[in-house]
Amino acid sequence: MRSSTLLSEILAVLAKELTAELRSRVALNAIGLFGLTTLIAVAYQIGPYQIREADRPHLLSALLWIILFFAATSGLSRVFVKEEDAHTAKTLRLAARPLAILGGKYLFNLILLVGLYALIVPLYCALMGYAVRGVVGLLLVLVAGAVALAATTTIVAAIIARASGSTTLFAILSVPLVLPLLVMLIQGTRAAAASSELAAVLPALQGIGSLGGAVMIVSVYLFPVVWHD
Amino acid sequence: MPGISVEFQRVGKRFGDRTVLAAVSGTLRAGRVLVVAGPNGAGKSTLLNILAGVLRPSRGEVEYRCSDGAVPRADWFEHLGMASPDMAVYEELSAIENLRFFARLRGLHLPDATLSELLEELGLPSREHSRFVGTYSSGMKQRVKLAQALLHSPDVLLLDEPSSNLDAAGHAAVAALVARLRGHAAVAVATNDPREMAWADARIDLTL
Repeated sequence: MRSSTLLSEILAVLAKELTAELRSRVALNAIGLFGLTTLIAVAYQIGPYQIREADRPHLLSALLWIILFFAATSGLSRVFVKEEDAHTAKTLRLAARPLAILGGKYLFNLILLVGLYALIVPLYCALMGYAVRGVVGLLLVLVAGAVALAATTTIVAAIIARASGSTTLFAILSVPLVLPLLVMLIQGTRAAAASSELAAVLPALQGIGSLGGAVMIVSVYLFPVVWHD
Repeated sequence: MPGISVEFQRVGKRFGDRTVLAAVSGTLRAGRVLVVAGPNGAGKSTLLNILAGVLRPSRGEVEYRCSDGAVPRADWFEHLGMASPDMAVYEELSAIENLRFFARLRGLHLPDATLSELLEELGLPSREHSRFVGTYSSGMKQRVKLAQALLHSPDVLLLDEPSSNLDAAGHAAVAALVARLRGHAAVAVATNDPREMAWADARIDLTL
């Protein structure tokens, strides 16, 4: 009988995703292109000087997450659709436990998100003149945001892949899950920019952690049904 | 858990108003080959998908049975290998990488030499094993699909048009494979090919 652990199966799915993505670069190109294009357009039109000092904390934190979220959406939504399009979904369905698929795809999306953040956030701070006082706080918000956003986008991507893979549907389904998360991420980012005290970002971190944790737990129960039915 | 049989009772499938499979009953016995024949659109692939558990029947029941009793539906895939025209392997990976991936998913730690032997048995020469599957002909892809279905020596093997896209040598390789499996695995073959119908120990003829 089966001698592998769930973890080793998750890592097998992750390794396959990374190998296939590094060779095709479909999601990498979509995310990188969208992120950089949006960032440069925003920096060109607004830049560090077009916003009044009083409005900067609110607008700059909101603009950052708009760029990050929509860049992420352009690539992460395809994580299951590509399996259906390539007719590999059924092969995968007959070879692996659903949780191994979910875990591997989640980790892949998480790695893509972390890569996106590593590319966009420093550039954004430099191009927009975004001075962050609480760098550690901002890093914590980014990590929590990546963990929660990856969970949300992965389960929504699984649902839309079974509904003929519409990226429009992805956007619509994401709204009720992502909107409160984005609001908390923007609040946390604004708090990190204004204060070097970790206590300033704590309320946002608690909210992001709660929502992300809830989505993960629901996903564990929901995904096998979505994947098989 | 040797000797799994698959029993299906009055299994049918409707998509909206259209009935694609009327009530069909039968048993897929360990060590025997069941051929499912019928014209295009009669529901051969639908029946195999229902037996595999990737499609829920609109009516009727399917049960995997072993000496210990019924096998839970969630565990069917552990005992099952399947190859069909609507399945594919990863085009960005080589044949060996594909088999290595599916073996790891099934908890198998097979050396590359074993995977190469399986591919060669199905007629894919070793010089092709490290090429990306995306560069293969349809017949070569079919061989890799068959290999992934056989990796774990399944108790139940479902083959939907197994010789499609294969040349005479490929057909002979599949025939040899079915002959090897006869005696321990329960094999179902959906086909219209008279050569494949000759493998039958039992047969179900579906009609439109």
